Amino acid sequence: MKRPVVITGMGAVTPLGEDVASSWQALVAGKDADVPLELFDTAGCRCHRAAVASLPPLAEMRPKALSRLSRASRLAIPAAREALAAARLLDSAGGSLLPVLPLSVSTTAGGMAFGESVLRNALARKHSHLLGPAARYLPHQQILDLQQALRFEGPSVILGNACASGANALGHAAGMVSSGMADCVLTGGFEALTELVFIGFDCLQATTVERCRPFDLKRSGLLLGEGAAFLVLETPEHARQRGATPLCRLSGYGHGTDFFHLTQPQPDGQALVEVMRRAADDAGLAPREIGYINAHGTATPVNDSAEVRGYRTFLGESLDQTRISSTKAAIGHTLGAAGSIEALFAIQALITGNLPPQLNLQTPIPEIAAALVTEKDASRPLRHAMSVNLGFGGSNAALVFSRHEN
Amino acid sequence: MQPWFFPDMKTDLAVIGQGAVTPAGIGITALLHGHPVETMISPVSRPDRQWPVFKVNLNDPAFARWQKEPRLRRASPLSYFLVEAAEQALVGLDAGELDQTGLVIAFSTGCLTYSCRFFGDIVTQGQKAASPALFPETVYNSPVSHVAATHRLEGSAYALAGDETAWIAALKTAWLWLEQERVKQVLVLGGEEFDSVSLDAYRSARWLARSKLKSGFIPSEGAAGLLVRRAGPGDSKIISRMEDGFIYRSKPEALAAGQRCLQQFDSRLPCHKSAQHHWLGNIERKLTQDRPPGSAVGEQAYLGEATTASAAWNTLRALASLDREHPRLLVPVWGGTHQIGALEIESPPPILKAPIRP
Repeated sequence: MKRPVVITGMGAVTPLGEDVASSWQALVAGKDADVPLELFDTAGCRCHRAAVASLPPLAEMRPKALSRLSRASRLAIPAAREALAAARLLDSAGGSLLPVLPLSVSTTAGGMAFGESVLRNALARKHSHLLGPAARYLPHQQILDLQQALRFEGPSVILGNACASGANALGHAAGMVSSGMADCVLTGGFEALTELVFIGFDCLQATTVERCRPFDLKRSGLLLGEGAAFLVLETPEHARQRGATPLCRLSGYGHGTDFFHLTQPQPDGQALVEVMRRAADDAGLAPREIGYINAHGTATPVNDSAEVRGYRTFLGESLDQTRISSTKAAIGHTLGAAGSIEALFAIQALITGNLPPQLNLQTPIPEIAAALVTEKDASRPLRHAMSVNLGFGGSNAALVFSRHEN
Repeated sequence: MQPWFFPDMKTDLAVIGQGAVTPAGIGITALLHGHPVETMISPVSRPDRQWPVFKVNLNDPAFARWQKEPRLRRASPLSYFLVEAAEQALVGLDAGELDQTGLVIAFSTGCLTYSCRFFGDIVTQGQKAASPALFPETVYNSPVSHVAATHRLEGSAYALAGDETAWIAALKTAWLWLEQERVKQVLVLGGEEFDSVSLDAYRSARWLARSKLKSGFIPSEGAAGLLVRRAGPGDSKIISRMEDGFIYRSKPEALAAGQRCLQQFDSRLPCHKSAQHHWLGNIERKLTQDRPPGSAVGEQAYLGEATTASAAWNTLRALASLDREHPRLLVPVWGGTHQIGALEIESPPPILKAPIRP
């Protein structure tokens, strides 16, 4: 069985805005969220900047309950609520209209800041300060926060496939719907900036101390970010019965593992090519039919060069006609949320015909220069858009979104 | 709870391979008949006190072959547990079938040892002590990548996080990939490694056995896995039903969640109990008291609590206990911090072939 899958609602909290509309408006206007990082001490690090999100208020929660939430949950709950509201699945009291709603969600660090507290307090022998953070740091606690805040239950899958896991979560959710495993799934990803992860990327010298410049010859590393994005996926029939309007279809998904190295992609991009081909085949498309690709584009030297080679192979002569941009220059690399937020941006491009420009370009990599979105060609009608992600451990994923024809 | 599977959908998974790494030894025999030895370990916050822990013997000769793998040179114990359990489960597969094999691994805490070492160095010595060699090994996905690369599993590969019930999510993922014909078989693993900071967390929750003389929760580590494919005629061990998603945060909610979950299954189904030493043990006793007990292969030793690894061990033990008297079993999966789930497993009667007449 393979049933079509439509998207009927989206929600986001990004460093550019507290919802989809404000994030998108800032993104296509060419703004970025690169700011000095003050969430924790970065003394001793090379890099001191990140793309930091503002936490939307959760007015309905009591202060005590709010104080127990991790930063990750503070990002995830409003994004998921916006998605349910947009899909007309939210009741007047702010809860889900579906009491059972399967979840397919991604993160890489969950509530890691609480985990850091556990170790810090244990090392300081503060015995009485362990239970709260220990009980709330693992990723399924943020899922439980989400389920309780929005009042639903049901099976949940939490994907931890590093930086590709957001795309995996959406692809997995689409598989659940298309196979008949579920009629409707809430899917997405969330990530909060944490000290352990920030210092980890810093010590790998993967973060930049300059501007984040994806696909530029002078790129010097990534900008870390945080945020959350959620989408409601369902069958067209389920949407029609509820009176919901599909925004687009999730038409293709490909994923695979690159065995080359734990932290580096295969230099010729061939593993990524296979994944993009699987996604295009799944959607029944030739590569030239894909009008826009939201690229992974971390701005690290090894990632971007492998990715460019991958696009050249995958798109062939149609590369120059395709439009490509990495939105990480604007919102940073949001790790476990990246695949979901960037998929949401690809969908916005598909729906609106506006393309997010490639920020901070000075000297684009010649092989991809003609395809990168500039301010001059930041608008074009699209029929299909793709979102691509690569992760530690060689986890690669690609998603294809297509216009929904009634 | 509304059914979210279509009622006419077959979700049978045939078990065609199994592997286990336990504190009682390496392999299925050790899982079924071994006895772990306690090690006394102090929590980070109380060096003056010790609690019993079950640890895997990393000097076991089974691990020696993996130390030569370049990929595993810097890997954490968890990756070794998983690579070894995978090797056992894949033993019946031809090399040509590996490119059609998917991989799903369920974790709770993941690479805890290296995460604690990495962040502990930062806390005690400052940011400049951060190790670029350790950090990539702290990521959930690293052991998945190591297992896939070491065994050349070229199908889909996922790292799933959660409490014990992530094991069910992993089995469901395998079913989905098989249904989509992305792969021909899927290796499903659960694995955890112990770090002494776990004792701080468990102690703060008052879960630990107060002394080794009293029965109670003993932290543990290890891995186990199943190689599964879509069930067909002649398969002897089948996972025929998987339910999860019954969430809770408090003890009363856990009881209600367990009730909702177990109500999904035939009330005459014998139950393979597994939470005797867990904080949910009383709830298991209460909810399963009217069910017939599942059979046991002799007296099986308590292997301690290792979340997803425990869920996998219990499933393998239950599969081993299927017999003529108990051809179907209910296997509850008591998620300790999020949700309750359960599996139904069965051993269909062998297909009788007509005798060949001369």
